[in-house]
Amino acid sequence: MMAVGVGLGAAVGALGRYTITRYLQPHVSNGWPLATLLINWFGSLLLGGLTAVGWGHWLVVTVGTGVLGGFTTYSTFSHEMVMLADQRRYGALISYLILSVGGGLALAALGFWGMLPR
Amino acid sequence: MTTWFSIAGWAFIGGVLRYWLGLQLPTSPNFPWATIIVNLLGSGFLAWLSHAKKLTAGWPSALTVGLGVGGVGAFTTFSTFSVDSLKMLMTQQWGLAAMYMGLTVVGGFIMSGLGVWVARRWFTFPVVER
Repeated sequence: MMAVGVGLGAAVGALGRYTITRYLQPHVSNGWPLATLLINWFGSLLLGGLTAVGWGHWLVVTVGTGVLGGFTTYSTFSHEMVMLADQRRYGALISYLILSVGGGLALAALGFWGMLPR
Repeated sequence: MTTWFSIAGWAFIGGVLRYWLGLQLPTSPNFPWATIIVNLLGSGFLAWLSHAKKLTAGWPSALTVGLGVGGVGAFTTFSTFSVDSLKMLMTQQWGLAAMYMGLTVVGGFIMSGLGVWVARRWFTFPVVER
């Protein structure tokens, strides 16, 4: 019944993402996809931390695969990049790509090393 | 409120589907094919859905938003992409990391581009859509 935990977690995560995007993104004047960036950063940080702590399998799957998997999103990231390319905003496209991927990696590492038991 | 329930319900399905595919797809020990496939499929589908106005015009907005933001949004994932890439870098599997990140980023971009193109070509009204 692991799948039920994943599904419920994903529902919670997706609602969190919807709420943040809905209230934050309209305040970004030039339409740069800030909300998705912050969501993916935060999710990467938490999943990095979750990987390091020795929680039980059920909890890791529910929170990691479910909540954080549902909270962060790749499809929106990809689509936003294509739309920036479509609008010929290549600077925004490059900055979004580098910040998302590089920042996601750095934050996952930060979460991982921060939560390593010592 | 309907939108909220729709997002939650579709996200449940999307999350379970991602989990299930991860269990079903043949796993190579250190290369996350399942995550690549999930993210590429989702990228194509979300881009297509976002522009297939001829199809979604007649849908209640709760369905379109629920399916896109909830279903496809929860089906694809960025956190696992970050952490799996990090694991490859930490174990100094540079080539594997480059291949994983390259396939996901370039592949996702191509799939999304394709989704937008297909939707604009066949699933949109004959008005220039921006």
